Amino acid sequence: MGQRRQIAGILFASPWIVGFLLLIAYPFLISIYWSFCRFDLINAPRWVGFDNYRRLVDEVASGDGFGLALQNTLYYALLSVPLSIVLGIGLAVMLSWNLRGQSVYRTIFFLPAMVPVVAASILWLWLLDPQDGIVNYLLGRLGVPPQNWLTQSRSAVSVAGLEQITGWWNGTRPLKLFGSKDALVLMALWSVGNAMIIFLAAMGDVPKSLYEAARIDGAGPLRRFWHVTIPMLTPVIFFNLVMGLIRSVQTFTSIYILSEGTGQPGQSMLVFSLHLFLSAFSDLEMGYASAMAWVMFVLLVVCTLLLFRTSKHWVHYRAMQ
Amino acid sequence: MKNWISICILVAVAAGLWFSGRLAYRQASIPEHFRGRSEVLFWHFWGGADRDVVDDVVLRFNQSQSEYYVRAIAVPGNNLEAKLFLSIAGGDPPDLVNQDDPIVGDWGARGAIEPVDAFATQDELKQLERFLFPAARSLGSYRNRLYAICNGLDIRALYYNQTELERFGLQPPRTIDELNHIAQTISPPDSTTNPDYFAYLPDSRRLWAWGYVFGGKFYDERSSQVLLDSQPIQQATQWIAQFGRWYGSDTINVFRRGDQSLPGKTFPLLPVENDAMVGRYVLMMDGQWRTRDIDAFTRRRAELGLPAPTFGVCPLPFPTEGAPDAGWVNGNFFVVPRGAKNPRGAMAFMKFWIGVDDPQQAAVTCAQGGWIPVSQSVVDDLEFQSFLRRQPLFSEFVRLAASPNQHPVPVIPGALFLKRTVEHTAEAAISNPEQSIEQLLQRADARIQQRLDEMSHALR
Repeated sequence: MGQRRQIAGILFASPWIVGFLLLIAYPFLISIYWSFCRFDLINAPRWVGFDNYRRLVDEVASGDGFGLALQNTLYYALLSVPLSIVLGIGLAVMLSWNLRGQSVYRTIFFLPAMVPVVAASILWLWLLDPQDGIVNYLLGRLGVPPQNWLTQSRSAVSVAGLEQITGWWNGTRPLKLFGSKDALVLMALWSVGNAMIIFLAAMGDVPKSLYEAARIDGAGPLRRFWHVTIPMLTPVIFFNLVMGLIRSVQTFTSIYILSEGTGQPGQSMLVFSLHLFLSAFSDLEMGYASAMAWVMFVLLVVCTLLLFRTSKHWVHYRAMQ
Repeated sequence: MKNWISICILVAVAAGLWFSGRLAYRQASIPEHFRGRSEVLFWHFWGGADRDVVDDVVLRFNQSQSEYYVRAIAVPGNNLEAKLFLSIAGGDPPDLVNQDDPIVGDWGARGAIEPVDAFATQDELKQLERFLFPAARSLGSYRNRLYAICNGLDIRALYYNQTELERFGLQPPRTIDELNHIAQTISPPDSTTNPDYFAYLPDSRRLWAWGYVFGGKFYDERSSQVLLDSQPIQQATQWIAQFGRWYGSDTINVFRRGDQSLPGKTFPLLPVENDAMVGRYVLMMDGQWRTRDIDAFTRRRAELGLPAPTFGVCPLPFPTEGAPDAGWVNGNFFVVPRGAKNPRGAMAFMKFWIGVDDPQQAAVTCAQGGWIPVSQSVVDDLEFQSFLRRQPLFSEFVRLAASPNQHPVPVIPGALFLKRTVEHTAEAAISNPEQSIEQLLQRADARIQQRLDEMSHALR
């Protein structure tokens, strides 16, 4: 009977098992082999040893191709992930206040996360239009000159951005700070609803007794937030950090739409996923694209492991109990 | 009892799947009156008004003979390559595909597409040789072998707003100096902080055209050398970058982006209901398909009781050492993928489309779609001549199509990479005009050369 149940269980799970083996496990494993080959999808793969990996290293050194994609991806990840966490926590704190219409506010702030990414990208194309977009209009009302959101390759957090700020400070040029990569970060922040909901749920789990104890000890709202809320949220912050990092490297659709599939302007939106797609399906370099995917996979694993290592020092799991 | 319910649900789902599958199959199968013919599966990327034209050609072909049935499937253009290669790898490709990217050399060298001599007879090859314009032949030939059959040329020329030029006492430009004079007269470099319109702005994608106009070549196919840092290309790039110096790269980028978001835009980039007599540009390089937009714009203005500016078309102005009637030509072409099941049917359809045996059919298609024929026989057809009389601006493009100075992107493996990198380099030149253009081109030249050499080595 036990064996029959086992077989029945496997049979019921077999559609998933077959799908997993054919559509995930096989491509995953075969791409290791392809990464050592020259493969154009049409002809049989030809073994080239470490050529593809050597090319990746060369491109990192020269700042072209993969090197440029890596820089752009890093910029996007390093800005969008921490800012999403900070904004997510900030919104979660505000939405936890006992206000009238609290659930309405929660719904409003979560709604952007529900918008399909294609629709959201088209919407942002309009919002960030340098001449007729509402973002520049609103900035103009605040006295800020219009920004070249999707037309400028230089970005805010860069040497060129610093030059812009000093030029503006000295009165020699208007403050045209934000570029296309900043537009991507802004778009990522707009859909912070998912992270916010997780933080909100985690905040609901913080024992009231801890706040009461802190209050008895004379801690004000800011201290309670810093010494009670934040430590209790660290497991969730850690989760969002790791997932956000992975997601930021995988972001494709919005960037494809905003840059019209080219990574323009000035290849500033040529992120890793777009470069991989163009290499594989436009330039027919599946071997090079596979090598790139594996390098990114290893880099992501290393980053995640490093984060796990550091988590011992700042993530307080026991505090949840 | 529960088991019975589960079995009933499973049977119902299976029956539903079977029924919907049958329905889909019946819808996808050959219509009753074309039964018994061999099917030609044709993938194309046309949408909107062009799709109606394609459907009409397909219908006319299907009605014109009794051997083949063409089934046209519109596949979104941006992912067509990925789908095509997967279908070739999977052994089930379409019989015919339409393309407009410079992929003939690359796909031909990889064996992704069949050379035309693999399925055409010797007579047909000779016929095509005589029939096609030189530009149409060169678009489809790789290493002197025809891999693609061009079905429509795309030519660029300079559109001008005659009314606006006359307001300034200017004439359409014939030389680069005259174009510079117009630009500086109508849009002086120091008075364009918040411009409503420009006399002319270069587009980085059009360095291809200006390079040929300045008398240059981007690649020498005999020596396999990239010529991006050659003198004519340098001069063309310097000239384009000069607009970045005049107006500022930010202003140019923002203004160009604004072209995309104009509400109710038509090609003159002026809303039809607007009182103004000038759109966003006085001069603009674009293709022959814009004549249709100008026609529609002018008619709509007349309906609204508004005067419309007069537009004209002239060849691209050239410098003293440049080439007259020069430019970058590309076009739409057919390719037969490797493993296609019905290449003979595909050949019959291609011949019908371009008018090898019946130029009048092709003349009807070109007139409907506003496409430039690929052969003088189609241009000379009464049907097309009548179209030209109705669309005088179009005639200039047809004349330019026969010019020997119209060149495509070189038909070589890696042409797409070459094209993209040239465009990125031109964009970098406009965005940062203060940098050394010579060094910029030298760097790009070296990068392209290295990649093309690697590709050619890999495909050997």
